[in-house]
Amino acid sequence: MEIPYIFTPRKDTGMCNSKIAIWLFLASEVMLFGGFFSSYVYLRLGADYPWPERALPVLPGLINTFVLIFSSVTVVFAWAALKLRKWGMFQLCMGITIACAAIFMGLKGIEYNVKWHHQAVRLTDYTILEGHLDKDPKAIDAKGQPYEADVIHVNAEKLTFSTVRFHKPWVEEIIRQAEAGKATVALAEELSLQGQKLPAGTKLSVDLLEAIQKNHLKSRANNADVRTDALRGEWVAAKAKAENAGKQGWEMAPNINIDPAKIANSIMVETPSVSFVVTPPTNLWFKHRDIKEGADQSRLRDDTAIIGKLQDSPVAFHNLDAIDFRHVVMQAEKKGIDPVKAIENTWLIKHSKEAKEAWEWNKAQTARLEQELLDKYGRDENNQPKRVPTLTERYRIGWKDFVAKADGVDKGKEKIHTSEEFMGPNYELREPKHTFPHLHIPRELVFLSGKFTPAWNTYYAIYFTMTFLHGLHVIGGAIVLGYYLFRGKKMYQSNPEWLANRVEVGGLFWHFVDLVWIFLFPILYLM
Amino acid sequence: MADSPEQIKKSIKTYTFIGLVLFIFTGVTVAVATVPALDIGVHGFDHWDMILGLLIASFKATLVGYIFMHLNHEKKAIYWIFFGALVFFAFMIVLIMSAKSDPIHFNGFDLGLPF
Amino acid sequence: MSAHAATADHSHHDDHGHHHEPGFWQKYVFSTDHKVIGIQYGITAMLFLLFGFYLMMVMRWSIAYPHEPLPGWMSWVFTDTWKARWLQDGKVTGDTYNMFGAMHGTIMVFLGVVPLGFGAFGNYVTPLQIGAVDMAFPKLNMMSYWIYLLGGLIMCASFFMESGAAKSGWTNYSPLAGFADGQIVNQWLAGQTQWLLGLVMLITSSLLGSVNFVTTIINLRARGMTWMRMPFFVWAMLVTGFLLLLAFPPLEAAGIMQLVDRVFHSSFFMPSGLFTKSEGLAELSGGGSPLLFQHLFWFLGHPEVYVLLLPAIACVAEIIPANTRRPMWGYKSMVYGVIVLGFLSFIVWAHHMYLTGMGPKISTWFQITTVLISVPSVILLTALMISLWGGSIRFTPAMIWACAFIPMFGIGGLTGLPLAFNLVDLHLHDTYYVIGHFHYVVAPGILFGLFGGVHHWYPKITGRYLSKTLNHLHFWPTLVCMNFLFFPMLIQGMAGFHRRWYNGGDAYLAKAADSANVFGKTVAEYIDLNITMSWAAWIMAAFQLPFIINVFLSLRTGKKVESDNPWNATTLEWATPTPPGHGNFTFDVAAYRGPYEYSQPGADEDYSPQWEKPKTDSPVVAPQPTTAHH
Repeated sequence: MEIPYIFTPRKDTGMCNSKIAIWLFLASEVMLFGGFFSSYVYLRLGADYPWPERALPVLPGLINTFVLIFSSVTVVFAWAALKLRKWGMFQLCMGITIACAAIFMGLKGIEYNVKWHHQAVRLTDYTILEGHLDKDPKAIDAKGQPYEADVIHVNAEKLTFSTVRFHKPWVEEIIRQAEAGKATVALAEELSLQGQKLPAGTKLSVDLLEAIQKNHLKSRANNADVRTDALRGEWVAAKAKAENAGKQGWEMAPNINIDPAKIANSIMVETPSVSFVVTPPTNLWFKHRDIKEGADQSRLRDDTAIIGKLQDSPVAFHNLDAIDFRHVVMQAEKKGIDPVKAIENTWLIKHSKEAKEAWEWNKAQTARLEQELLDKYGRDENNQPKRVPTLTERYRIGWKDFVAKADGVDKGKEKIHTSEEFMGPNYELREPKHTFPHLHIPRELVFLSGKFTPAWNTYYAIYFTMTFLHGLHVIGGAIVLGYYLFRGKKMYQSNPEWLANRVEVGGLFWHFVDLVWIFLFPILYLM
Repeated sequence: MADSPEQIKKSIKTYTFIGLVLFIFTGVTVAVATVPALDIGVHGFDHWDMILGLLIASFKATLVGYIFMHLNHEKKAIYWIFFGALVFFAFMIVLIMSAKSDPIHFNGFDLGLPF
Repeated sequence: MSAHAATADHSHHDDHGHHHEPGFWQKYVFSTDHKVIGIQYGITAMLFLLFGFYLMMVMRWSIAYPHEPLPGWMSWVFTDTWKARWLQDGKVTGDTYNMFGAMHGTIMVFLGVVPLGFGAFGNYVTPLQIGAVDMAFPKLNMMSYWIYLLGGLIMCASFFMESGAAKSGWTNYSPLAGFADGQIVNQWLAGQTQWLLGLVMLITSSLLGSVNFVTTIINLRARGMTWMRMPFFVWAMLVTGFLLLLAFPPLEAAGIMQLVDRVFHSSFFMPSGLFTKSEGLAELSGGGSPLLFQHLFWFLGHPEVYVLLLPAIACVAEIIPANTRRPMWGYKSMVYGVIVLGFLSFIVWAHHMYLTGMGPKISTWFQITTVLISVPSVILLTALMISLWGGSIRFTPAMIWACAFIPMFGIGGLTGLPLAFNLVDLHLHDTYYVIGHFHYVVAPGILFGLFGGVHHWYPKITGRYLSKTLNHLHFWPTLVCMNFLFFPMLIQGMAGFHRRWYNGGDAYLAKAADSANVFGKTVAEYIDLNITMSWAAWIMAAFQLPFIINVFLSLRTGKKVESDNPWNATTLEWATPTPPGHGNFTFDVAAYRGPYEYSQPGADEDYSPQWEKPKTDSPVVAPQPTTAHH
């Protein structure tokens, strides 16, 4: 049995199977990326926060665009080389194409990595701060060193675990932290499992919790069984009663209950939760996303209750490389407040001398720019300036502004290094001059804190999702093209036309990936 | 379809030329977005920058589609498939956006109720 | 496949001679033969349908008897630990009901009906009907089956996890679905996340499948099988293929975004101010939009309805001409109708969203397109109905199902019309009326069509007929029970019964005593219908047994077919040996005429098969490979 038209076109349709299939596939890809592009537009137009226009460093994106376009040219050369039966040329062009894919993904990796190590905080008054965190002296990692932790500290006295829901890695982490704090975590009260008594003071371990869990699940299953049977019996009895004749279920239901006395003998003791005492009370810390903190009692996402005083857990910026008031301004305008007043009323300006200085400097810069634009472009018929500084220029003080301020005000000779265009600011070059402010933000003022990940806002969410998906396409395409390059020799010798067809189809996919990037680059980097 | 060696050699020149054009327009799109002197519309990003950026991108995409993906001499069925998908994409984005831009403004019944 | 496939434009001889015989695994499990894959799809899909049905039976208990423990015959499948986790003293809890409800919908739509209609029937019949040796990409075909199975198993595996399976409805709306199972620390092991993973796999599977189908139909048609000689079944598959191809990806996008929302805590579908730090564990930036999810979901959701429907209507369209012994009435209008239907189905989706605060302008657009789309649907149904007129009908088992399909689907379609109008929908939205409407379409409509398909092609697949007696025992009770199950829903829905009440409205009964509580009284008036419907469902379940027995028993004891063409039908699948071997046709197959030439004047018999060479003096043009574009 042979499938016809594998690479020779069918006469009446004029196409071979693979050609139709790849175009159908690309059509569905249009709809897939179409879904994302629609979402991008929807999210952008519907954003109730200042959309980060032109927020990404352009240089890596620009290089990537060149790389992809170049690879598009080489892949079509590779196809032409096969058509001309030049194997060496094909190998060269295809090799370059795959190298381009590697460069593209490498740059993408650098871009991602920088974002995943860049901290951002949104305060409850909508001020947004960016930078890098200090090492937290109270948070000690497995090697005994403090690390950059964005955590909530609790002076834990008592821990109550849910026996069905406790999360093993968290329990292990709690044990580790308690050991580091030279404290013991031990069972609060005596507990009896089937045929075994656990005395108070048994040390916390995952094995112990698992044993209790096993026992609990067994008891729970038994009790459920007993209670179900009992309830069923009650219903049978109730339906048999003369006074209930003709009554509907819902009419009888309120009078039908399980008699606890009847089943008391078959019921086993359940232990849905189990408590441990920490002696002496010691400091434990948890990622802020995992804990719902309270002054005296906190709760983890796996239902572990922690009794103990909440400790001071500020977000400590080692370096603040951007201050962003655009969201403050947006909120102020919504309420009809003067934006500048709103900014000057923020916690940041009131509490940080350096931030205030930077803000004052930025104001002066903006005024100068405003004048420049006015001088250059003049006013329109309504006597309004034709061109004015943007919101970003007015209300965002980025790391390049800090560097410029160091030049202007602090009389330094700072310049921006090329590597910084990829990696963001390099503090070590400027640390001594205190270009970047340090800052401790009390936890209660923090609305949202985290790295630049999809969680930061919908712009980064769609940026990561779209570029990651596009990256997957790049990788997938490179694998297919690489297969033709490294395993295609045999096919080339037996049937070069077939290989040419395959490469053409693979190339079509590759061009499509390029085509998507041609749109992704401007909408994510330039707009 | 360029199948004979001469035609392919000719089209290699076309591909090189188109590659260059794509490079140049990439440069142009970055320049108009970043160099203040080339800024169109008001100072900074506005809808003119968006239109220009998308126009350049569409032009580049068209070149890739027509030349590199051989849509300039492709079978009718393939036009139907690919442009059909584009039509449905257009429907999707246009209808979703019109649904978004036509909301009901409901401020509660005027009954003095607290909602 | 070897190089000389390049020249295999004309004939494919039955050259099995030099092939080595494939082993058991290759032949029946990891097969690339479209027929085996079709059967695999069929069996898997029917098992999923059975599972979905079972979930529904448990839900119906909770609706009819919310205070009583599940009876033993229903709960024996659960383990004790599972029962202890999900039942309260043996009664179904709200959470469990939600879980079963969400999974019932998901399983029935994505794992049951689509794979049965498109995967099973499409795979088995389409290449045969166009005279192809196999699908264009057999390995891809195999892959799409295995991805489908994997996706389905991942979804269902979550029943056994701490989180349980997805609980946010089959529509999986955010923000509900974004927060559900938020207590699970490792989000990859949450039922709601697994639902998304499974969905992404199912979509991938159906994308591969639809690429394969469309390519096959475009390029692998036999000589002479011009577009207008293709059976309606193939047309329906072509349109279904395009619907899957173009409508599914936006949902895949939405699924991926929701996955990112759940696992990486982004806010694609989470508006600002939903949660603040002090109110919950969820720290979210906000700024997204729940409506975006609904748009992307229903952009798939509506074409999906036709993905479900078209294979069934296609089966019926094959059964009816074969059993009325006359050409299909309005073949061309059906073909154009199905194309228009496919096109329009992309631009009606927001009629599922009238209550989201859509303004009058855009809602008018969607009302108009929704009403418009009823035109091609009615064309299809009318053509099928008129095809019956003046035919000499043979009531074969398949024909019985096909005949029941028409009125049942008719009820389903017509009850949909009121929902197309914004104003009426305000009242009926999310009530049992909607449930009644779409179940009439899907259960007695689509499933009847597919049952008919099973009876129609079973002799080709196995070489034996299904038992007529067992079929009567299956058909009549099912028909009666279906109506007792779904018609009361329409009544309850108009009375305002909400579709997601896990106790069937029981909570309102206490309020019925209050004379001012009109709604409580209404509920009291119609709540007893719950019991009727539930018993109809359970009895119907019992009467599916004859079908299951029939399918297995007839493999051994069914009456053997007398010829390769037991129904004396005209389309190409009946030209193959029974059952068709690898490569399908034993002769150089070609189509010489249209698909439904029954009782043609001048013909020797009352049917003129497509593959039969016309008599020399006949005016029919002998097919030649043409060079023109189609």
